[in-house]
Amino acid sequence: MAVFLQSALSGILIGGVYALTGIGLTLIFGVMRVINFAQGELVMVGMYCTFWLFVLAGIDPFLSVVLTMPALFLLGALLQRTLINRVLDALPQNQILLTIGIGLVLSNTAMLVFTSDYRILSTSYSSSSVALGVIRLSTPLLFCFLITAVITAALYWFLVKTDTGHAIRATAQDRDAAQLMGVNVRYMGVLAFGLGSALAGAAGALVAPIYYIYPQVGGAFTLKAFVVVVLGGMGSIIGAALGGILIGMSESLAAVYIAADMKDLCVYVIFLLVLLLKPSGLLGKSRM
Amino acid sequence: MRTLLPWAVAAVVLALVPLWVQSPYALHIFILLFIAIALGESWNVIGGFAGQYSVGHAAWYGLGAYGAFILLQRKAIAPWFGVWVAVAAAVIVALAVGWITFRLRGPYFVLASIAVAEIIRLAALNWKELTNGAEGILAADVPPLRLGGTVITDWNSKTPYYYMGLAMALFCIAVNFLVKRSKLGYYLQAIREDQDAAHSLGIPLTLSKNTALAISAACTALAGSFAAFYVGFIEPQGVFGIEVSIQMVLTCIIGGIGTVAGPVIGAVVVVLLSEALRASLSSAHLLVYGVLVIIVILTMPDGFVGFIAQRLRRKAAPA
Repeated sequence: MAVFLQSALSGILIGGVYALTGIGLTLIFGVMRVINFAQGELVMVGMYCTFWLFVLAGIDPFLSVVLTMPALFLLGALLQRTLINRVLDALPQNQILLTIGIGLVLSNTAMLVFTSDYRILSTSYSSSSVALGVIRLSTPLLFCFLITAVITAALYWFLVKTDTGHAIRATAQDRDAAQLMGVNVRYMGVLAFGLGSALAGAAGALVAPIYYIYPQVGGAFTLKAFVVVVLGGMGSIIGAALGGILIGMSESLAAVYIAADMKDLCVYVIFLLVLLLKPSGLLGKSRM
Repeated sequence: MRTLLPWAVAAVVLALVPLWVQSPYALHIFILLFIAIALGESWNVIGGFAGQYSVGHAAWYGLGAYGAFILLQRKAIAPWFGVWVAVAAAVIVALAVGWITFRLRGPYFVLASIAVAEIIRLAALNWKELTNGAEGILAADVPPLRLGGTVITDWNSKTPYYYMGLAMALFCIAVNFLVKRSKLGYYLQAIREDQDAAHSLGIPLTLSKNTALAISAACTALAGSFAAFYVGFIEPQGVFGIEVSIQMVLTCIIGGIGTVAGPVIGAVVVVLLSEALRASLSSAHLLVYGVLVIIVILTMPDGFVGFIAQRLRRKAAPA
């Protein structure tokens, strides 16, 4: 029982990060109907920002979230303005290929600049843990989850309570109607892509103390983000949050009860099953 | 006949190249080019004609490579027999996968194809008894190719690989020609343009897509096993990784999808540029693909072939 609780809880904690990347992806999809295949590469950029802030300026990875998020927001907004914006009316396949291209450019540029060495960000609390009755939770994972929860709550509040948030949701619901109501839908696209990238950057900062940092780390995050979003239902933020937690949990339980090497395999099999049996996802109907 | 003439001339010229080009490096570039052409043409059958953007073709590439390697190593079956078994295996798996995933459309199909390739990659990584896991397999000595009693080649130079690669690239181009002009080809193009309209005209959607996938997977597996023997070493990430699939797709996109000449032009551009920049990019060679695809999607969505055709038309009919 302790083993079950232990692995389920760790799964939920890491699931928070998957949720964060997934929410970014789903936000971008909701507003612009573009599936961003470069989401994981944005996470990678966030990881490198955090790594260098830590190494060069000694800024704690969890504090550096306040710097990486705005930086990635700007990068995302820039990508949207210069590239994505121009294919909004193109075939979905071409949009996908464009974001794949952006991802390749990001990861290969990182390889040119930072080499393909694996880097490790180790802090004083990297290997410490917190005891909770019979189970022990890793301190960095716990911090990571708490900050994820705060960011998700803040985003939710922003989307539900502020005027700009309303405008973003209106654009996601019906682009033309929103435009007729006087919403600047182009600006909402930039905002959504910026926010989605900022969330990826935050995820990168938060996992930097836990994962190896290397240029191709993004691919795994992109795929996980898709799994999370499809599981929750494309365009649904609560769905993505739920999907993230579920994927984190199933991954960690599969590692314990099936085999450690099989956890990713299980995740993709679940993904295929969801695609085939309920392609609209768990919360597919409601958008955001 | 007139469209076939330039292809025939090119084939004859290329067949004569090794007679006066001796440099192994030059032959190496040609072999890389042949592999890229074969892969691009293979993907074109399902992605270009049928519009089903599979980003999981690494699955068929890797099955071809692993199938032939494992047969050679475990059963000592020579590659020119083993390859066909590997191709058959890839086709069978592809049909099973197609039967399941072809009910999905657009981005969902793309995602499913990636997931399938990842599942196969992880299976290859973890089934260590069969695949040797992440360590990969080094090709055992390839037995010499004999016809009757005479040895045709012992595979010790690049020339046999050159001719083998050329034959394979020509074969894949021929397959594209045949598919494009067949009833199947028209079905596929109708599906690409409007799946629902095609369905209402009585075109069997799943059957047509699966046939195209089987052809595409067979060619990909063939090219995959050839590439694997040429390199002499395989490991799961190298043959099943998403980079392999992306390279196939981008070769077609850059050249122009749904045309026979597109993948050839895409392959020439991509291989030559990658090779020219190899010294300065080293392992970051995919940067070339990334930058090119961004430029192509933004400025010439129909690829180089579409772009050139448009220019020619504009010249031919001045306003």
